[in-house]
Amino acid sequence: MIVEDAICSFCGCLCDDINVEVEESKIKRVKHACRLGSSKILGHSRIKAPMIRRDGELMEVSYQEAYDRAAEILLHAQKPLLYGWASTVCEAQKKGILLAEEVGGVLDSTATVCHGPSVIGIEEKGLPGATLGQVKNRADTIVFWGCNPAEAHPRHSLRYSSNVCGRFTPEGREGRKIIVVDVRETRTSKNADETVIIQPGTDYEVISALRMLVVGKGDVVPDEVGGVPKAELDGLAKMLLAARFGTVFFGLGITHSRGRYKNIDNALSLVAELNSHTKFVIMPMRGHYNVGGIGQALAWSSGFPMSVDFTRNAPYFNPGETAACDLLAKADTDAALIIAADAASNFPRAAVKALAKIPVIQIDPYENPTTLIAEVVIPSAIAGIEVAGTAYRMDGLALRMRKLVDTSYPSDEEILSHILESVRRMRAGEGA
Amino acid sequence: MIIKGGIVYDPANDVFGEEMDLCVNEGRIVEDAKGEEIDARGLLVMPGGVDAHSHIAGTKVNTGRIMRPDDARLGIEPRSGVCRPSTGYTVPNCYAMGYRYARMGYTTVFEAATPIIEARHTHEELEEIPILDKGALTLFGNNWEVMECVRDKDISKLAAYVAWGLRSARGYGVKIVNPGGGEAWGFGSNVKSLNDPVPSFDVTPAEIIAGLARANEMLHLPHSIHLHFNNLGKPGNYTTALETLELLKDIKPGRMRQVVHVAHMQFSAYGGTSWRDFESKAPVIADYFNSHNHATMDLGQLLFGSATTMTADAPLEYGNARLTHNKWSNHDIELEESSGVVPMVYFRKMLVNAVQWAIGLELALLTRDPWKVLMTTDHPNGSPFINYPEVIALLMSKPKRDAEMATLHEQLPKRTSLGGIERELDWTQIAIMTRAAPARILGLEDKGHLGPGADADISIYNLRPEEVDPSQDHVLVKKALAAAKYTIKSGIVVSQEGQILATPEGKTFWVDAGVPQADMDRLMVDLQEKFEKYYSVRLSNYAVQDAYVPNPKVIRAGIKVEPMKEVA
Amino acid sequence: MKTITITPLKAFEISVEAENISPDKLAPLTLSQIRSLEIWQGNRKRKLSDLFRAEGDDDPAKAEDVTITLRGDFSRVKRIGEGMTAGRVEVEGSVGMHAGNNMKGGLLSVRGDAEDWLGREMRGGRITVGGNAGNYVGAGYRGEKCGMRGGEIEVGGSAGNYLGEHLCGGSIHVHGDAGDFPGAANQGGTIFIGGSTYLPGAEMTKGTITVKGKARILPGYQKIETVAMDGEDWQKYAGDLVENGKGELFVRVGSSL
Repeated sequence: MIVEDAICSFCGCLCDDINVEVEESKIKRVKHACRLGSSKILGHSRIKAPMIRRDGELMEVSYQEAYDRAAEILLHAQKPLLYGWASTVCEAQKKGILLAEEVGGVLDSTATVCHGPSVIGIEEKGLPGATLGQVKNRADTIVFWGCNPAEAHPRHSLRYSSNVCGRFTPEGREGRKIIVVDVRETRTSKNADETVIIQPGTDYEVISALRMLVVGKGDVVPDEVGGVPKAELDGLAKMLLAARFGTVFFGLGITHSRGRYKNIDNALSLVAELNSHTKFVIMPMRGHYNVGGIGQALAWSSGFPMSVDFTRNAPYFNPGETAACDLLAKADTDAALIIAADAASNFPRAAVKALAKIPVIQIDPYENPTTLIAEVVIPSAIAGIEVAGTAYRMDGLALRMRKLVDTSYPSDEEILSHILESVRRMRAGEGA
Repeated sequence: MIIKGGIVYDPANDVFGEEMDLCVNEGRIVEDAKGEEIDARGLLVMPGGVDAHSHIAGTKVNTGRIMRPDDARLGIEPRSGVCRPSTGYTVPNCYAMGYRYARMGYTTVFEAATPIIEARHTHEELEEIPILDKGALTLFGNNWEVMECVRDKDISKLAAYVAWGLRSARGYGVKIVNPGGGEAWGFGSNVKSLNDPVPSFDVTPAEIIAGLARANEMLHLPHSIHLHFNNLGKPGNYTTALETLELLKDIKPGRMRQVVHVAHMQFSAYGGTSWRDFESKAPVIADYFNSHNHATMDLGQLLFGSATTMTADAPLEYGNARLTHNKWSNHDIELEESSGVVPMVYFRKMLVNAVQWAIGLELALLTRDPWKVLMTTDHPNGSPFINYPEVIALLMSKPKRDAEMATLHEQLPKRTSLGGIERELDWTQIAIMTRAAPARILGLEDKGHLGPGADADISIYNLRPEEVDPSQDHVLVKKALAAAKYTIKSGIVVSQEGQILATPEGKTFWVDAGVPQADMDRLMVDLQEKFEKYYSVRLSNYAVQDAYVPNPKVIRAGIKVEPMKEVA
Repeated sequence: MKTITITPLKAFEISVEAENISPDKLAPLTLSQIRSLEIWQGNRKRKLSDLFRAEGDDDPAKAEDVTITLRGDFSRVKRIGEGMTAGRVEVEGSVGMHAGNNMKGGLLSVRGDAEDWLGREMRGGRITVGGNAGNYVGAGYRGEKCGMRGGEIEVGGSAGNYLGEHLCGGSIHVHGDAGDFPGAANQGGTIFIGGSTYLPGAEMTKGTITVKGKARILPGYQKIETVAMDGEDWQKYAGDLVENGKGELFVRVGSSL
């Protein structure tokens, strides 16, 4: 049986034109997806049963034992961290938010190691954006700044950006100017019309220089900024001003280099300024397929999109203090629930060390380095493949992931519900 | 349940402050009932409030939250009892929306504007809002398929698209915002007048509005088109308002109601030629409403203090941001719409803001028929909904208006006639403007009144209408309206003295309209092409799935005249 | 003079929130009431006496007559002196995040180091730190246009990144270095940095920043002239011109990169 228009559960592109061949409840073949998506959809060997670590070894236990142990750990903790969320669906994320409220913990997503700085920039300046279909149909000038979609978002250019044809862009790639700004040549820059190489850590200054050039204050700008001659920056500014519809896509190259959220803040202002002269939008290249979803769900539930501290029964938001890496860096958390993310692989070394010292509950279909430090391991159904639910694309568009095959594993949502039940039961038992 | 001895205002059933008992059974008003007695002797009793225009759910609203942690940190209420935490003032979180409306005695709220492709998000948020019954209006005014049908003068296909769009979005009605301008904004421009052709589409805003109005009436939709005028927010724009209203006066409505409902009329009642000679044209607008019966309006009242402007009028928002040097979010939606979000503060000593404040009140007081006027603040554009009691108190009290005017910019009396208006609204008129009229204008048969069969949505206030003079005791009026003594929703006491006691899930209204299959087939040819070539998503993934509307209340409509009926 | 001395009973692992430790809060209370004050540690609501020893004067007083001495390790205790309007808080060692949040008056003096967000959204009063301060000294809250609006902060050692971000009024004086982006998005106030810093005054529209050490200058800053101040020569810049800023930046001559 072929399932058409399945939605890929890998990256923020959320390609929804995937054809999946299913036979006897197993996925046999995947068509249209890139190799990253195919690999995700085809799957690999997974955790068989729940486990609890006893005397250093993970031992298989029943789901209920695992739920109860997880609940104990969370209730005992004074400041548990509930982290991850980016690779599961909103239905699970909503349950997780409720759980964080009830156990009095801190909830954070993978944005903390990815586009968290972008969120902070947006809190300063807003987000002048659009849906990807606007870029497809209208963009004649596209800037990829600090990102490499050729490798990280392989189908982006053919579905949404550089190479796609649209109503006002019938020539596709031929009718577009593609500009790459980065600290070195990349696979993406190989297909660009212009590449601007800047010194590492100088994104902020280069953006400020562009802002000056765009409003005609070029004579104040030094002859070289970020290692780029002023004439080249002026050329870039002119290209931006000449756009009929420009788009800036940006990624970790700018969110995690020196300046961090100030870089995004500045880029947002550059785009706002460009809108006085022509039409321009900007969009973060979200990594995980539903990091957008946890941001949306957390915002409508608590008012804040990430790093929310529920310990005092009301949401408190202060990245730099309440983000996952902040808590771990200061050893200010005493238990962690890691779900739909691989903290041990993606956190800075010091944070992983801190994580290894506290009890960790892992909810994931697959083993990964986080499993090595987990005290409780609960295997879940694969969201987006075995479980239907909502995900938010990098442009904020919500789509419903399909269920492709049956499974006997519980979904993330079910697991969280059971843990919450155990938490409530234990609390009531304590006579609270 | 029996509510005993309240002073009931139920204008839809000709009840104007009569002492009577109300009986409730199984969530509805009935003639007789037994059970729990609620003592409402001498107290003000009205149907639960109905808000026909508020921005409560969806991409715009959440963007407002995400970009405003400075707003979220205001109005924080910790979780307690049955309540999850509340945050936010102008952009509350979902739980606060439900609790705060319910505390004030409101039980039905409609989201003012949803793009079809993003309706899934809207419904996710609506489902998170506790207690209230709700619906969402669907945006059509900048839509490629709409403009092409209008250009081709193919109203049957347009009607098919409207039906299809409402079904795909699980929407309630046709919302039109700055028609044509949203598409022009796709390349950074706008439309300047009703007859300004939309770039690349060979239609004018006037044609879009008239076309959609005709399709709306062909489909016998419960609500009329709900229209945000072109040139909103610009000095001198009252002429656009009048021109647009004139455009629609000869269209026959498909139901016993208006042909057009004007959104937040205040923002389109502006005179002057610039911000310097800015003045109110509310009297001219009110005159028009007094001498015509095809239009209704909601106020969009502005109040001083913080607001967050959010609207599908994206070029307006860009202008706001540049003017006030504020952070700015923009979101253009492929083939369908545009939108923007900008925080705002309105100042007493800023003449323009003072005039805007006066205009909303003038409109309500100068329009003779309260059935044509809904009390709103276009939450959160004019002010957050939590401030509705302030608006009501102003409408009921000339002394309060005078006291307030004395604190505003001293040039104000030269720009508005408000100072000379003696009229003070009474409880009947308030009940009409906040309950009976919004229900009728929206076409909600079981809302906004307390006759047998109506939904048992009831608000009881700590105020004795037979003893209190709202003109003098406006402080008491405002306090009483801020926290109902009881708010009853579908026969359940959800709020008492400002405390939320229960958080049942509300229902979501949406309209399922039928059209001839032949027109639907012709439409699908267009749509297949659009999804193949222009959309960034597949047709099969586009429409809102059942999972997102677990408590639906479907109203049937369509080309064939059918009595309006609810299908479970 | 009402003096209260507070000492932690043990080393804290999970951070403690002690916004109740401020002269205004303690002034009217007896020692017994002080010991019953609400203090949070993570999601556990505690009494002050669960975590601290409190000794001192029992009688009620006005806030301006109160001196609170914090003795021991307060580096994981947050929100000390929050909102205080008068009186003194003397920290003998180091203090945790958000010390002097929203301060309106009085004196907060820290002998050791101060963690991030010292004097956030300060309105008045004075804060002194003998050692180093963290990030976001005298800064605002996310999304707010204005942070600190008044008062004085003085740091004997160095400060971290984002010093005085969104400063609208008041003054910040750092004797040592400041990290990246001091004085970002400022609309007023004065910042003095005795050491070196990186990209000062990003998007500043008004205010003054003075740097005695080295500073990497943003492209939106225009050289104006050299001026003599306090017996030294300083290069004066105007900026940040990306925002049509009318701020002033002074960097000691011979210092800038």
